[in-house]
Amino acid sequence: MSDTANAHNEEEDSHAGLVVENKKLLMWLFLGSDCMFFGTLISTHLIYRKLYPQSYDPLVVFDLELTSFSTFILLMSSFLMALAVSAMHKGQLKSFRRNVLGVIFFGLIFLSCQVYEFAHFTNEGLTLSTNTFGSTFYLMTGTHGVHVAIGIFWLLCLYFYSHTGKMDAHESAIDVEVAGLYWHFVDIVWIVIFTAVYLIEYIPGF
Amino acid sequence: MSDTDYAPLPVSDKNPHEGENEKYHTFVNLALVLSAITGVELVLVYMPFNSVFIFTVLLALSLFKFVAVIAWFMHLLYDKLIMTLAFGTGMVIATGTFVALGFLMSPSNVDMEAITQF
Amino acid sequence: MSHTDTEILPPETTYAGKTLLLKPERSRLGFVRPDHNKSVIIDWITTVDHKKIGLMYGAIALFFLLVGGVEALIIRTQLAIPENDLVSAERYNQLFTMHGTTMIFLAIMPLNAAFFNFLVPLQIGARDVAFPRINSFSLWGFVAGAIVINFGWLLQALEVMGLLEAAGATAGHTDFVPAMGWFGYAPLTHTDFTGAGTDFWIMGLQILGIASLSAAMNFIVTIVNMRAPGMKMMRMPVFTWMTLIVSLLIVFAFPAITVALGQLMFDRCFGTNFFVVAGGGQPILWQHLFWIFGHPEVYILVLPAMGIISETLPAFSKKPLFGYSIVVFSGAVIGFLGFAVWSHHMFTTGLGKVATAAFSLLTMAIAVPTGVKIFNWVGTLWGGRVRFSAPMIFSLGFVWMFMIGGFSGIMHSSAPANAQQQDSYFVIAHFHYIAIGGIFLAVVAGIYFWLPKMIGKMWKGNLSTWVAIFSVVGLNVTFFPMHFLGLLGMPRRTHTYLAGFGWETYNLVCTIGAYILAFGVLLLLIDIVRCFRSGEPAGDDPWDARTLEWATSSPPKVYNFARTPIIAARDALWEHKYGPESRRITYEDDHGHGIHMPSQSWMPFVASVGFIPLGLGVSLMQAGIPYMGYVAIFGLLMISLGIILWAIEGPGGYHLHPDEDAT
Repeated sequence: MSDTANAHNEEEDSHAGLVVENKKLLMWLFLGSDCMFFGTLISTHLIYRKLYPQSYDPLVVFDLELTSFSTFILLMSSFLMALAVSAMHKGQLKSFRRNVLGVIFFGLIFLSCQVYEFAHFTNEGLTLSTNTFGSTFYLMTGTHGVHVAIGIFWLLCLYFYSHTGKMDAHESAIDVEVAGLYWHFVDIVWIVIFTAVYLIEYIPGF
Repeated sequence: MSDTDYAPLPVSDKNPHEGENEKYHTFVNLALVLSAITGVELVLVYMPFNSVFIFTVLLALSLFKFVAVIAWFMHLLYDKLIMTLAFGTGMVIATGTFVALGFLMSPSNVDMEAITQF
Repeated sequence: MSHTDTEILPPETTYAGKTLLLKPERSRLGFVRPDHNKSVIIDWITTVDHKKIGLMYGAIALFFLLVGGVEALIIRTQLAIPENDLVSAERYNQLFTMHGTTMIFLAIMPLNAAFFNFLVPLQIGARDVAFPRINSFSLWGFVAGAIVINFGWLLQALEVMGLLEAAGATAGHTDFVPAMGWFGYAPLTHTDFTGAGTDFWIMGLQILGIASLSAAMNFIVTIVNMRAPGMKMMRMPVFTWMTLIVSLLIVFAFPAITVALGQLMFDRCFGTNFFVVAGGGQPILWQHLFWIFGHPEVYILVLPAMGIISETLPAFSKKPLFGYSIVVFSGAVIGFLGFAVWSHHMFTTGLGKVATAAFSLLTMAIAVPTGVKIFNWVGTLWGGRVRFSAPMIFSLGFVWMFMIGGFSGIMHSSAPANAQQQDSYFVIAHFHYIAIGGIFLAVVAGIYFWLPKMIGKMWKGNLSTWVAIFSVVGLNVTFFPMHFLGLLGMPRRTHTYLAGFGWETYNLVCTIGAYILAFGVLLLLIDIVRCFRSGEPAGDDPWDARTLEWATSSPPKVYNFARTPIIAARDALWEHKYGPESRRITYEDDHGHGIHMPSQSWMPFVASVGFIPLGLGVSLMQAGIPYMGYVAIFGLLMISLGIILWAIEGPGGYHLHPDEDAT
C-alpha cells in the first residue's frame, strides 16, 4: 500500500457490482418515464384524428411501402444492437465495433427515410400548421426522430471511445448495455407509432 | 490493459460464453420473426377483410413485437424483477391514463357541432 | 484527530496513525479534478456531497419562500379594500401567477429536495446517493430554472421605465413576467393573448422538470440499491419510503407536463394548432394534460411532509409509529390513486355525467388512505410520553391544520358542491390550509428537528413557540374567512372587487392575518440565524431519536459512516440504545480498505449553466430581441458539451482512512 492515499482504479471496489445494477435501473426508470412521454404525444394524435376525421386525408401523402421499409430497417438495427451488446460482454471489441457501426448505419438510413418523408409531405401541403393533423404528426414523429439522432450520436461516441483502448468487457459492458436499452426503446416506440399512426389510416372505419 | 482486443469477464463456467451463443440464436430468430410480422402487417391492411378483424390482428401483432423486443432484445426476461416493475408501472399508468383520456375526449363526449366549424 | 467543524474536506487524512496529504487526481480528460479544493466557492460549486447539496437546496428554497411571500403580501394588500389601486390588473395577474409558481416549484419542491438529499443516504446507512454528479446537476438545474422563470422581472422593470418594447412574435404585449396563472390555461397562453412572460414560464418549467426528474431517478436507485446490510425495505424510516413514492410520482407525472409545455411552445413559436381553436385545437386538452401532471404534483408536495411528521411524532412521543406497514401502504395507495383523479379540477368544464361521477368517486376514495394516516398519527401520540419540544408543536399543528384542509378538500370532491366552490375563494382556503397548515408547518417541524444535526449547533431559547403562535394564528386569520368569502361568491384571480357584496370585512381580516403570518415567518428566520450563531454544540443525538441518521456526528462526517452499519431492526437507533442485544447495530469490518469517496466535478455545473442561455434565448427570441436564437443554440451546445465531458471524465474517486475507533 502506498503512503499517499490517492485515487485508484474503480475496479478494485467491492461495490463495483452494485454500479452495474445502478445504471441499468436508472435507464429502465428513464424508459418508464419516456413511456408516459410518448404516450402523451401519441394519445394527442389519436384524440385529434378521431375528433376531426375529415380535416385531412393522410392517405394522400402516406407511402406505406416506404414506411414499412424504414420500420424493417429500425428492427434490424435493434437486432444488430443486441449483437453489439453481446459482443461487448464477451470482450470482442472488433465484433462490437462492426455491429455498432451497423446500428449507426441503419439508424442513419431510418433518419434519411424520415427526412425524405417529411420533405415530401411538406411539399404536398402537410405542414406543422395544417390543422391538428400536421401538428400532432410532426411533433410526435419529429420527437421520435430526435430520440433516434441522440441515440446515433451516443453510439458514435461509444464507437470512437472503443478505439482509445480504455474499453473492456468488465468496465464498459454496462455502458454499452444501457445504450442498447435506449436504442431498443426507440425501436419499440416506432413499432407503436407505425401501427397507431400509419397502419390505422388504412383500415376503413377506424 | 495492453491487450485492447480481448478482455473477457472472469467467469467460472466451463464455457463462459455458452449463454451468449444461445442468445445469438435467439436474436437471429427474433429478428426474422419481427421482419415477417412487419411484412404481414403491410399486406394485411390491403386485404378486403372485416375492419374490426384487421384492427384486432394489427393490435395483437404490434403488442407481440413490443413485448418481444422488451423481453429478449432488452433482456428484461432475464434481469431482476425490479426492472420489470420500474418499466411496467410506467406502462400501466400510461395505458390507463390515455385510455381514460381517449374516452374523455372521444367524439361522443365532445360537442362536435360546436367544434367543427371549419 | 476529529474535524467536527469542518465544512470543507481537509486536504489530509489519517492512515495508520500518520497524517497524509491528499492530492487531487487527473480525470480521464486530463484535467485536474476539483477535489480537496481550498477555495470555498469552488468546493461548494463542484461538490457532490449529498449533505452540502441538501443545505444549498434548503437555503435557496427559503430565499424563494420569502420572494413568494412578498408577492402574497402585495396581493393581500391590494385586496384589503375594494377598488384598490396599489397594483394594476396586469401586475396583479403576474403577482398571483408568480406567487403560485414560486411557492410550488421554487420553494416547496426544493425544500422537500433538501430533506431528501440530507436525510435519505444517512437513514439507509449509505455513504452518498447512487449518482453523486447527477445530484449536483439537479441542484444547479434548479438554480438555472429559477433564474429563467424570474428573469422577466428585470425586463418588466425596463418596460415600466419605457426602455423596452416587445417585438416579433409577441409584439403588442407588455407582459414579460408570466401572467396567466401557475397552471397556464390555453388559449390564454397563446401569443395572441400573452407576451414573452409565458415563454419564460414554459422554458423555466421545462428546466425545473429536467432537474426534478433526474433527482427523482437518482433517489429511486439509491433507495432500492444502496441500503446498508440488514436495512430491509420494511425497516426503512417512513420518510425514506415517502421519498421513494414521491420520486416514482415525479418520474411518471412530469412527462405529461413536459409534452403539454412542448406543445404550447410549438403553438407559440412554430404555428402549430395543439390548442389553437381556429386550427382545430382543443384548449380543454391542455387542462387534461396539465392536471394529469398537476394532481400527482400536489401529492409530490404533501407526501414528504407526511414523511417528516411520521418521524417527529414517534420521536417526541417516545413510541414507535402506530401501524408502520399501513402508513407505508397508504402512502403508496395515495401515490397510485393520485394518477386517477385529475379531472376533479375540471368538474365545471362539462365532462359529462359518467366521467364526473367516476372522478368524484375516485377522489372520495383517495381520502381514505389519507384518513388512515391521520388515525395512525393520533394512535402514535396516544399513550406516549409526549415532549412538547419545537418539532412536536409544529407536528401537532400539522395534524390539526392539515385535517381542516382535508375537510374542505372532501367538500370539493362532491361534484354538485364543487360547482359552487370552483374558481372561488373556497378553493384558495382549501389548498392554503394544506400548503401552509400542512406542508409549511411540517417543513418547519423538520427544520427544528434536523438543523442541529445538519450544522452541529443547538437551538437557543424558545422563539419557536412564538413562531408557532404567529404562524398558526396568522394562517387561520388569513384563510379561514376565505371559506366564507368563497361561498359568498368572491371569485379567484380578480385584482379588485366592488363594495356592497359583503366581502369587505372578510378581505380586510384576511390581509391582517397575512401580515401576522409573515411576522411568524420572520421570527423563524431570526431563530434560524440565532441557531447558526449559537455556540452550543448539538451533540450526536440531542432529541434521543429513533433513526439511523442520529447515529452519526453532528454534522456528519463527509463519509457519513466510518464503517458500514449492519441493521437488525426497524427504528434502528432506538433498538440499539434500548433494545435487546440481538437488535443492536453492528459495523462491517473494512479490512483496512478505507472509504471510497466520489470525486467532485465541474461538469454537472457546466451542463446546468447551459440551461440559462437555452431558456433565456428562446424566451428573448419570442420577445423580439435579435440573435437570441443563436444564444439558445449556444446553450444547447453547452449542455451537450458538459454531458459529454461528464461521461468521459469518469467517476474517479479517492480513499479516506478515518480513525480506527471512529463510528
